[in-house]
Amino acid sequence: MNTELRIEKVSKSFPGVKALNEVNLTMKGGSVHALLGENGAGKSTLIKIITGVYRADSGVLKTNGEEKFFNSPVEATDAGIAVVHQERNLIPEFSVEENITLHHPPTKFGIVDRAERTRLARQALETLGFDIDLNERVKNLSVAQMQLVEIAKALVTNAQIILLDEPTASITSGETIKLFDVIKRLKESGTAVLFVSHKLEEVYEICDTVTVLRDGESILESKPLSEYKQGEIVDAMVGRHLADRKVELRKVNRSVEPVMQLTDIHTALGHEKISMSLYPGEVLGMYGLVGAGRSELARSVLGLHGISSGELKLNGQVVEIKSLRDALHKHRIGYVTENRKEEGLFLDFPVRKNISVTILSKILKKLGVISFQEEDSVSTKYVDRLGIKVVDNNQLAGTLSGGNQQKVSVSKWLAADTKILIIDEPTVGVDVRTKASFHELIVELANEGLSIILISSDLAEMISLADRILVMRDYQLVGDLDNSKDYTTMSRGIMTAIHSA
Amino acid sequence: MSPLTRIRRIVGDQRVVLTLLTVGLFLYFGMKNSAFFSTDFVIYPLLRDGAVLTVIGLAQLCALSIGHLNLAVGRMAAVAALAAGASYQYWHLALIPGLLIGLVTGALLGAITGWMIVKSQVNAFIVTLAMDFALLGFVTFIYVTFTGATAAFTTKPAGMEYWRNTSLHQYCIAGHCGPRVFPMMLVPAIIALILVGFMYAKTRMGRELLATGSNLRAAKLSGIPVDRRVIMAHTLSGLLAALAGVMLAFTNGSFTASIGSQFMLPSFLGPVLGGTLLVGGAVQVLGTFIGTMLTLVIRQGLSVQGIGLETLNIALGLVLLTALSLGQIQKMFTSIRMRGRT
Ligand SMILES: Nc1ncnc2c1ncn2[C@@H]1O[C@H](COP(=O)(O)OP(=O)(O)OP(=O)(O)O)[C@@H](O)[C@H]1O
Ligand SMILES: [Mg+2]
Repeated sequence: MNTELRIEKVSKSFPGVKALNEVNLTMKGGSVHALLGENGAGKSTLIKIITGVYRADSGVLKTNGEEKFFNSPVEATDAGIAVVHQERNLIPEFSVEENITLHHPPTKFGIVDRAERTRLARQALETLGFDIDLNERVKNLSVAQMQLVEIAKALVTNAQIILLDEPTASITSGETIKLFDVIKRLKESGTAVLFVSHKLEEVYEICDTVTVLRDGESILESKPLSEYKQGEIVDAMVGRHLADRKVELRKVNRSVEPVMQLTDIHTALGHEKISMSLYPGEVLGMYGLVGAGRSELARSVLGLHGISSGELKLNGQVVEIKSLRDALHKHRIGYVTENRKEEGLFLDFPVRKNISVTILSKILKKLGVISFQEEDSVSTKYVDRLGIKVVDNNQLAGTLSGGNQQKVSVSKWLAADTKILIIDEPTVGVDVRTKASFHELIVELANEGLSIILISSDLAEMISLADRILVMRDYQLVGDLDNSKDYTTMSRGIMTAIHSA
Repeated sequence: MSPLTRIRRIVGDQRVVLTLLTVGLFLYFGMKNSAFFSTDFVIYPLLRDGAVLTVIGLAQLCALSIGHLNLAVGRMAAVAALAAGASYQYWHLALIPGLLIGLVTGALLGAITGWMIVKSQVNAFIVTLAMDFALLGFVTFIYVTFTGATAAFTTKPAGMEYWRNTSLHQYCIAGHCGPRVFPMMLVPAIIALILVGFMYAKTRMGRELLATGSNLRAAKLSGIPVDRRVIMAHTLSGLLAALAGVMLAFTNGSFTASIGSQFMLPSFLGPVLGGTLLVGGAVQVLGTFIGTMLTLVIRQGLSVQGIGLETLNIALGLVLLTALSLGQIQKMFTSIRMRGRT
């Protein structure tokens, strides 16, 4: 029988929000179904209802004709549903191999069959064409590698229904191509795939049908994707027509002293001969494939790992940054981490306290008492500006949708009023509209004199935002391109830099 | 907010439930045996013990706020009491200066503990456990060496009786006198509650401690000096343990090695029943007082029932386990709600 999963009139409320309101969706074997919507539209909630993480308030779930909701993720897995959740669910202390086979470890006489386990895990990674050490502990992997492990983990189960919640958010185009090859193969073999992404180009490349959610309602329900133009899909998500944003070339004065200059930096992590300059008001992009060493460079320079030789100058002065605290308070440099869950957010703090954490020293009254009024106004400002979807700014950060968590994690650094901001993958999982307003904000800040180093694996974002693009490969700089902001020529230039020896 | 949600929120607040439970049990025990309502023999001592145990609960709460444990609270209290006692005995200090010496001793012990945790990167559990053993040996050694068989400093500074035995009843305004059940010992406990509560709710220090407890890496990346905050939390823990130690010595009327030996369990019960998270990042200061009073009412209530010591201990243990697991279950639900996004 052909695989089919049907959702009928499913509703779900959380305190203060109706996350889903009578949503319908039908996905079929041999087809890839796009689930789209802005941040907080209800996509992840729907996936969690299908997989038994949350219980629906009302509605029906039919899997291959059988009408029932799963009571737990285990039941869903047993029924042949595999899922990659938006937030990673790996066990940091376990090896890659152990994580991949976590749900179904192969056993012999009740004991884990290690050889078989290695075989399974290796096979999963090989089908995907990913090269990761099977014995490495997951906590030592980069965010992108963790994402790849998560995908491999879903694929080993041989499920008939696969739900992918933003699987490509933190991997680069190279890995995405490999993933799509696998999805295409799955599709041919009759698997039903649900695909969530904010990158519409990808959606058009791989998906056949589409459902669009807006504020918990299904605006388009299981329609053939080819009948809609990209603009129409965006309009459906946003609820009104969104004008195309024009990209502008900015003028950066490079005849002055750079605000930050690296000369021949080497690090213990393996960076070699890194030299670069950042000028006042410049948006300097750093592009590279996963594992190129961009975040590691930033973290080394900021004193998290340390540098082994070379010179770091800030405004012409040679300095050594010992810790992030030094960076922030002495040199006014901020670092927005790519790893929001582990390093960016206090999940059990309200949004308000998350945003104000970098500026506590500025909103103090007497006796070290925090001015709640100022805290409130600062956080409200960013909540409004980035359109963070909250009930109020006392909502716990852990209960926000993934994209909205990302916005909170970035906000606290925008609020910090720094001179240099290093932003690592700022728009991972952020929807089209917010991305645009976020880009505007970055340009605005740069125009006000903030110097920005932008690390992003999103090529389109890089090309529309950066003034200059550095290309990194294997812990070395292999390209330095002036950005003409023309996608075709720039992407070609960058790819040449990455692939030429 | 609709009245219904408001009611739901009030009923859902662990502190309200705890208060109702405490008062309910109190009335229940009193009805079963009216001796339980005796001001002098039950309620006054109960509140006086409650004062001491609340302060030791706060000491533990400070460590819990950053996600650590302080298994040495009892022994830190003992050393602080020893220092205060010795200063009364040998230097004939007045009450307040001696108390200050005790407090400084406790704070120093806490600071050293915190420093060792930061420098060695060893889990607080292990470090405070080791500290507890070391201090236990030290305390016994000092008492035995200096006081021989009595094993106690017995010099009572002037004013000790006042804190031990008197109540607000002695203060009258326009013919209205304070209640006789209100021990003076509650005054330092209330001050500690207010200060600690104020710190966690309103100040930058409190916020940074909680941030450190909530997510150490995020706190570090946000420019919070996490090492110093860890030391600070343990310093405060030591300081409050010292206060509790001296308060207990005053209550007992002498400074002995056994001070603090009964502190460990209550130090966790108060905060945890009151809603403080064991994993750090959230504290309930007032809840600590309520949680402490609940455990005391249960203990006293059962003993007034004339239940034998062994049975009493068993019953007490069971009641506390139940209460704890209830609290724990409730907390699990809150944290599932909070971290629902897997
Ligand atoms: N555990 C929860 N408690 C309270 N509110 C929640 C919880 N989980 C989700 N929500 C709310 O439900 C709404 C939908 O969230 P959901 O995570 O489904 O969005 P999403 O479409 O996946 O967004 P994104 O693109 O940002 O990942 C949001 O307003 C979110 O704040
Ligand atoms: Mg989501």
